[in-house]
Amino acid sequence: MSRAALRCSACGSSNIVEDALYCQAQQVCVDCGSVVSEDALSSESVYVGGSDVSYSRTTAGAKKPCMNLIIGVQRVISICRILRVNSEIEKLTQIYYREAYQHESFIRVSLRKKEHLVGCCLLLSCRLLNWPISMATISSLLDADPMVMGMLYIEMVKILNIEAPIVNITDVMEAHSHDYQISSLHAPEELSESHKDLTKRAVELVELSADTWIVTGRRPIPIMMAAIYLSWQSLKPNKHRLKLSLEKFCQLAKVNKHKPAIKRITEMKEMLCKLGQEIPWVREAVTPDNVVKHVEDILKHRHALLRRALRAQEDALLAERQASCEDLPIKEDADNHQLHGETLKSQDPEPNWGKRVLFAPPCVVQAKKSRVEQPELTDVTGDEEISDSEIDAYIRTPQEVREFALSQKMLE
Amino acid sequence: MDEWALERYFDDSIANDSSFILEEELDSHSPAPSGTGPAPSHLPVKAGPSGQVGEELDLSFLPDEVTDDATGHMTTCVLWVSAAVDVSQDSGLGLDSSTQDSAAAADPQQGASGTGTGTSTFCPMTPMTPMTPMTPVTERSGIIPQLQNIVSTVNLGCPLDLKFIALQARNAEYNPKRFAAVIMRIRDPRTTALIFSSGKMVCTGAKSEEQSRLAARKYARVVQKLGFPARFLDFKIQNMVASCDVCFPIRLEGLVLTHQQFSSYEPELFPGLIYRMVKPRIVLLIFVSGKVVLTGAKEREEIYEAFENIYPILRGFRKQ
Repeated sequence: MSRAALRCSACGSSNIVEDALYCQAQQVCVDCGSVVSEDALSSESVYVGGSDVSYSRTTAGAKKPCMNLIIGVQRVISICRILRVNSEIEKLTQIYYREAYQHESFIRVSLRKKEHLVGCCLLLSCRLLNWPISMATISSLLDADPMVMGMLYIEMVKILNIEAPIVNITDVMEAHSHDYQISSLHAPEELSESHKDLTKRAVELVELSADTWIVTGRRPIPIMMAAIYLSWQSLKPNKHRLKLSLEKFCQLAKVNKHKPAIKRITEMKEMLCKLGQEIPWVREAVTPDNVVKHVEDILKHRHALLRRALRAQEDALLAERQASCEDLPIKEDADNHQLHGETLKSQDPEPNWGKRVLFAPPCVVQAKKSRVEQPELTDVTGDEEISDSEIDAYIRTPQEVREFALSQKMLE
Repeated sequence: MDEWALERYFDDSIANDSSFILEEELDSHSPAPSGTGPAPSHLPVKAGPSGQVGEELDLSFLPDEVTDDATGHMTTCVLWVSAAVDVSQDSGLGLDSSTQDSAAAADPQQGASGTGTGTSTFCPMTPMTPMTPMTPVTERSGIIPQLQNIVSTVNLGCPLDLKFIALQARNAEYNPKRFAAVIMRIRDPRTTALIFSSGKMVCTGAKSEEQSRLAARKYARVVQKLGFPARFLDFKIQNMVASCDVCFPIRLEGLVLTHQQFSSYEPELFPGLIYRMVKPRIVLLIFVSGKVVLTGAKEREEIYEAFENIYPILRGFRKQ
């Protein structure tokens, strides 16, 4: 039956796509999503892997176009329609898929990997045509491991020799926030929020986090989750919202919780506290517990507060340096005592630069203790004499050999 | 004839490497294909290099911003190359045109060619060839990357019985189902070696080239003591890994925007930015904390050079 003649019985549209769901091919209406018709559960293998002679070795004079390629292109189309990307992206993805599929590095990979390739091509075209989408979204759509798909994406981009810009987290924010079902339709009045307000505030919060080194190098999704959670709390900072933990919030909004989001929330709160302290009309101390109600003010005046905080930090540093200059004669004795003990004293100033500035990447502020370097063999020429005793220490005695052989035999 | 050939070679290499700088300086000049004119300051640049450049221009070593310090340096180079381009362009037309003589006369003043003094003083690899970064000496970083790991290979020159080695040596492990080599370790220098049945050996974990060589010799000695006629052939350093800390945070998103051809930054996959430098051919992992890992070098100098190349670029992304 020709696809053009099919019409969806539910909405009457003729926009029908073939969608391969697990091993059952279905015909699905794009507009309303209803299944128009289904194929048999186990059809005769349309994959070329079913025939006795593999496609690359067949001697047929007129080679039919590779079935897997056709199926792959259809998969590309269906995914593009599910995501409702524009037609340019759909076309570009098809072009890239054909090119990548037929490239020697990808022609012989497994069918599963070729499916990942669909996602990679889509990601590439979205990035080139400025359609913000994250790898996590595409890989969840394909039911694939994001890491595997990501590595394949990097390989593909290198092979096809294309430079694609990275995705800005603030662009993805809006699409991400739509995942959260907490509009007034889905959640009780007290806890609901409109998408527009939520997204606007979350974007501001993410921009502020990016300025203060919380975003660079981190996975974007936990950051977005933390931003949405804090924005939601701060839009109506009443008792109900403040008491609701991240876990319950995710249950409410029907999204999967990401564990790193808790750490991001802590980092964001710390950063907001530093800025909140600079608000002139706040008398009480700003702590992570009560910072949420000040978030609105902080975001509104964030540039001014940033400037004030940085200036205050500079003044504090200057004062400290002056104080240390005055105390120098007294300090020297203390230092001498310390120097005897620690051999790594000279390396201390470097790791601590994170503590001297107001905002630093968290991995610097909470630097893990690096292993103490053993200054083993300095000034080795490489041509030294090697003592026999040293080498003999590495060789078993005949007695040991016998015992070892015996124990191996017993273990087998 | 030889003198001209050498000079042309030298001038060619300058023209190829500097044409980027020239194009920056001379946006306003329209390309004049022939007829260079006697004045060396008139720069018919685009015709010359474009005809000669078949390869990719390698720009990885150039700093982002052209500071005032650098322009002084660059204008001298520009005058350099102008004279060079004059000569190289005209050389095709014939070596005895009068314009060429005047241009050639301008050259010796800048010390470009040794035509006056003879080819023996002429060396294509003079330091004036702009293959080094354009930052002046005063901006050296002062940070030296520390070597963390050296991988080297050596050929022991005889087939080995791995089962026998695993039985007789205390520091060896051998699991043929998992991997087809004996894994041997020594304490000093603290290294690990993979010894294959063909007699080839890979030595990893040393912190300097000399330590790697010493360790490889110790492993060869152990194999010798076990009764094999082991030799020490073709010792070669295959890879060197170094790391250092620039002590300021780095805006990776900005770096990937401006150096897109060399950088790959995917925060969803890996927190660091992967920078593939073209010259020298080194891969750098740059992290937001300011820590930099350099790998892929066969020689120590490549690592130092790569770091000196990247440091000014990183400095550009320091403040918010």
